[in-house]
Amino acid sequence: MTKKKKETQMVGQVTEPIVLEATMSVNDLKAKLEELKNRDGVIGYILRNTTSASIDLKDPAKVIDFAVLSSSAIDASKELSNLFDLGNVNSTVVEGRNIKMLSLTIDENRISIFMEKNVDCEALRNTLCAKGPN
Amino acid sequence: MDNELYSFALKSTLDEIRNLCPDIKNAFMFREDGEITAADESTPRKTIVKIVDSFDGLMEKAETMGGIELITVEGSKGGVNVSRMNNHYLVTVTSQNADKNYLNTITHTLVKTVLKLLEKINPAPLNNNPSEPETETEIRTIKKDEKPTERAEKLAAEDSEQPTKPETVRPEPTANQFMVENIGGLLVAADTVRIDNETLLQWQELYEDRKIEEVEIETFEGKSTRCKIKPVKDSKQEGKGVVQIPQKIQRTLEIRKGELVKVKPVVD
Repeated sequence: MTKKKKETQMVGQVTEPIVLEATMSVNDLKAKLEELKNRDGVIGYILRNTTSASIDLKDPAKVIDFAVLSSSAIDASKELSNLFDLGNVNSTVVEGRNIKMLSLTIDENRISIFMEKNVDCEALRNTLCAKGPN
Repeated sequence: MDNELYSFALKSTLDEIRNLCPDIKNAFMFREDGEITAADESTPRKTIVKIVDSFDGLMEKAETMGGIELITVEGSKGGVNVSRMNNHYLVTVTSQNADKNYLNTITHTLVKTVLKLLEKINPAPLNNNPSEPETETEIRTIKKDEKPTERAEKLAAEDSEQPTKPETVRPEPTANQFMVENIGGLLVAADTVRIDNETLLQWQELYEDRKIEEVEIETFEGKSTRCKIKPVKDSKQEGKGVVQIPQKIQRTLEIRKGELVKVKPVVD
């Protein structure tokens, strides 16, 4: 019994600071994404990392479709990068007939923003990549 | 105008674009159904097949946004642009400091113009006839308009230098080129490949007194295997020049969907 208690305490001590650090970064990104979501033409976003995922889309029925698309786009761009030696993938833009998606990876966070075709995704990318609060 | 000329026209266009814009490192085109229609000389066919494969899944998932019109990937050392033109996708790989607006204008204008011209000259869509890799191996193909009996006679005439009795002259099994297609499902035999009926009938006529139950599949890397043969079930695959191969055999031969293989009947 005594041994078990000790183990629990040790685990708590190791994991706590890491979780705190990750949350800080994700919170910052989330705040930026929330701001972007309110812009004209932005449909929503997906934010994923190794510990959590946030999805905020105006049409909840498309959550799964968009999540799968986002993941496939990031995987495809990684494969392209490997095959053509493109280095680190900074961003991927996929344009459909009516909608486009901007995907990028910031640290461990994989972000996809969905928007109407007329939205300037370069501006969104600059806002997201800018350091500090907006 | 046949498909070879279509491919030649598109390939020449891509080569010219590359001459004009040295910042374009690779350029190739493929159709919505994954068929490679043209590619420059610097891009290995295996690389193209891998890319087409990875986009195949992405395109399926992008139906939710009305299909894919454009994909732009920006990397630290360069970028890739995939743009839809009619029912084709044009892929260009550019270096890091390329002027993307200039490149897009050039490629879009030229390729779209050539595609329009080709459509006007012959409105029939491009068939599945990817540019075939050059090989040193001699491959004899059965032409569609050539009757198998005529072919047998030709082959017999070719071999006439060797004194043989006319009734014993039989053509040696020759290899046809096919494009690899996946075959899936619960009841798929792992040791059986499927080929269109037309080819099987041609073989049957060519080797009248012999039953063709097996084929030998050979890759361009020289790997080969024997497997059972059956006609394709899906009528859409008829006459497309594809061979449906189960995953297990594909792994053995280290080939993937879209690659070319040589298939010849095993005549015992």
